[in-house]
Amino acid sequence: MSADTFDIQAVSEPLEGRDAEVVVKNERSEFVLEVSNFSVDYGVGDDMVRAVNDVTLHLRRSKVLGIAGESGSGKSTLVYAMTRLLRAPGVISGGDVILNVANPDDEKETTPINLVTASEKELRKVRWSHVSIVLQSALSALNPVLRVGREFDEVLKTHRPDMTKVQRRERAKELLAMVGLNEDRLIRFPHELSGGQRQRIMIALALALDPDLVIMDEPTTALDVVTQREIISELHHLRSRFGFAMIFITHDLSLLVELADEIVVMYAGEIVERAGARALYEAPRHPYTLGLLNSFPPLHGRRRELTGIPGSPPDLSDLPKGCNFYPRCPYAMSRCEHEAPALTTIGTSDRSVACWLHAPDPSVPVPVELSRTANPARHATSTQRERS
Amino acid sequence: MTDATLSPAVLSARHLTRHFSTRVPGRFFNAKRVVRAVDDVSLDLFEGRVTAVVGESGSGKSVLARMLARIVTPTSGELVLEGTPIPVRSKRTLDYAATVQLVLQDPYASVNPVHRIRHALERPLLIHGANKGDVDQLAKAALARVSLEPPERFMDRYAHELSGGQLQRVSIARALCVRPDVLLADEPISMLDVSVRLGILNLLRGLCDDERLAILYITHDIASARYIADETIVMYAGQIVERSHGTALVDEPTHPYTQLLISSVPDPSDPTSQDPTGSEHATFEVADVGCRFAPRCPFAMEVCRVEDPPDFIVGDGHSSHCWLHANEPRAAVDVALPQRRREGEPTTT
Repeated sequence: MSADTFDIQAVSEPLEGRDAEVVVKNERSEFVLEVSNFSVDYGVGDDMVRAVNDVTLHLRRSKVLGIAGESGSGKSTLVYAMTRLLRAPGVISGGDVILNVANPDDEKETTPINLVTASEKELRKVRWSHVSIVLQSALSALNPVLRVGREFDEVLKTHRPDMTKVQRRERAKELLAMVGLNEDRLIRFPHELSGGQRQRIMIALALALDPDLVIMDEPTTALDVVTQREIISELHHLRSRFGFAMIFITHDLSLLVELADEIVVMYAGEIVERAGARALYEAPRHPYTLGLLNSFPPLHGRRRELTGIPGSPPDLSDLPKGCNFYPRCPYAMSRCEHEAPALTTIGTSDRSVACWLHAPDPSVPVPVELSRTANPARHATSTQRERS
Repeated sequence: MTDATLSPAVLSARHLTRHFSTRVPGRFFNAKRVVRAVDDVSLDLFEGRVTAVVGESGSGKSVLARMLARIVTPTSGELVLEGTPIPVRSKRTLDYAATVQLVLQDPYASVNPVHRIRHALERPLLIHGANKGDVDQLAKAALARVSLEPPERFMDRYAHELSGGQLQRVSIARALCVRPDVLLADEPISMLDVSVRLGILNLLRGLCDDERLAILYITHDIASARYIADETIVMYAGQIVERSHGTALVDEPTHPYTQLLISSVPDPSDPTSQDPTGSEHATFEVADVGCRFAPRCPFAMEVCRVEDPPDFIVGDGHSSHCWLHANEPRAAVDVALPQRRREGEPTTT
C-alpha cells in the first residue's frame, strides 16, 4: 500500500501555489474534516477521466455525513483519495483536505493536517488512530490466513507500542464485546464467520484506536436486510457512546435518511445537492435526488406505477457539455444543455443545489415537486403521510 | 383475484424438495449433515401474473428457481407443466427449456464478454430451431420487446459497451426470444444501479400484462415484491412461511419472520422505524425439530420447538406457517404486529 500512496504523493506534490506547511492553530475546530475544491482524475493526458470534480465538504465533529450516488458517481473515489489510499492511476489533481486532529493532551485543542500534502510519515500517524475505514467487502478486507485476533493484535502493536500482549488481548475482547460478538471469535478465521459477523469485526477494528472519523464504504451492501438493520443499530449505539464522526457511503438513499445528519448526493463526480437528511428526503431540490427518492418502491400506500430515472448513468469519459444530468432530466431547459450549474446555496437556507431551476431567475418557474417545504414537526409525530 | 377466475397454472411445483449433504469435519470422523435447502415447496405460476419469492440469502429461493428451470434436480417432488407431469429425474428437454426460461442475477457475468450481443440472442434461436434467415429479425424483435431501441444499435456491441441496466435487458431479451410462457427472474435488479431498477421492474410487469407471461420474481427486497407481484411468498430456511395475494402480506404480515423482514427495511417515511427492537444478535441456527424460525422468533412457544406448524389460513388467499395462528388468528396477529403497521393502513390512500 505504501508504495502506491507514495506515487500519488509524488504526483500531488508538484501542485504549486499552495502553502504546504501546516499552520498550527491551537483552538478547537468545530469541523473534523474540511475538503475544499477537491478533484481526482484517473489517468493523465488524453485518456484522463475526471472522477471527482471540485468537491467541497465540511464535516462537523460527531456528525454523520452521508454520501449517496450510483456506481461511477465518484463517491468511493472521493473518500479513497481524501485519505490518500487511492492507487494509481488515480491522481489527486487539486484541492485540500484538512483533518483537524484532536490533541491527545488537551481535548479543546485540535491540530489541522492537510492530508493532500502530508508525508507518508505524517499519514501513518493519522491513519487508523484518527481516521479509519470500513470497506464494503469484509471478506476481502480481512486476511484469510490470519485468525481474527491477529488482526487486532497487529493494529494495536503498531500504534500502541507500549501495550503488553495481555493488554492487547483484553482490548481485542473488549472491542468484540462492543460490536456484540463473543470473544471466542478471536481464534476464528474469516471464512468461519458469516457476512454480518465479518462486517462487525471490521467495525470493531476500525474503532480499535478510538478515531475521530470513521469512513464506511457501503458496509451493508453485501448483507441482507435483517443483518443490515442489526449493523445499523449497532452503529447508532456505538456512535452515541463514543461520539466519532462518520462518513457513510451508500447507494441506498432511504438508509441514509435514517442514519445521517447531512447528505450529499453525487452525480458524475460532482455534488449535485447537499442538505440535512430529513430536508433532503421531504423536500428534494435537485431533479436527480427526486428521481432517486422515487426509485424506491414504498412499503405502504396504494400501489402505483413509479418511473424512476430514464436513461442510464453517464459515461465519465464522454460527459455532456452543460449539466451532467441534462440528458436524463425531465425538467431540462435549453440553458442546461450549454451551461453547467454550480453548487449554490438556495435562499437563506443551509442547503445547496447545482441546478438552473433554482437559479435566482424569476422567468424560470420551479416545479412543484422541487419546491416542497420540509415539515419540521413531522418527525416529532408518528403519523404517517404518503409522499405525494 | 382468486384462483377460481384463473386459467390453470402454466407451471406448478408440487412438494418440491432439495437436500444437499455436506460433511462436518470432526476430530476422527467426518459426520454427515443434510442441508434442507428447499423443503416441501408448492407453488403455481399463472399466465399474466407475477409471483414473487422473498427471502434472505440462504433461504433457498435461488435453488427453487433453478429447480423450476430444471438445472438442479429435486430430491423429491414433482413439476407440472401445462397440466403434464414432468418426470423430474429425466433430462431436461429442449421443449421444456423453450417454455421455461431463467434470467440470472448478474448481467455482467451472464452475457458472454467475447461475443457480440447478436451472438447472445441468435444462439438460443438457432438451438431452438429457428431458420437461419429469420434469426436476425427475431433477435431484433426481442431487443425491441425489452425497449432497447433501435435494436441495430445494440446488435453488434459487446457486453462491456453496455450499462448494467441495458445488459440486464439483453439478458431478458435472450430469455424472451425463444417465446417462453414462463420467465424465472432470479434477483434481476439487485446488481443494478438504483436509478435503473424501476425500469427493469416496469419492464417485467409490462411483459406480464401485455404478453401474458407467467413470471416468478425472486428477490430479497420485499418493497419491490410489493411493487410488482400478484402473489407474494416469503421463504425462510427452505420453507414457505407466509404467502398472500396482492399486498396483504406486506401490509398485514402475520408471520414473525415476515414482520422482522419488513421492519428491517429502511423506511424514512416512518420515524418509528428508527430504532429497531433490540439489537441482540440473531442466531442463524435453523432448528431441526419444530418450527425452523423458532430459535430467532420473539414469540416462540413450547409447541414451536416440538412440532413444525402447518399452514394456517389467515385471510383470503393468505396463509401463515406459524402456530400463533392456530386458534385465534386475529388476536394473535394483533399482539404480534408492530405498532406502525396498524397505524399506517387506514391513513394511507
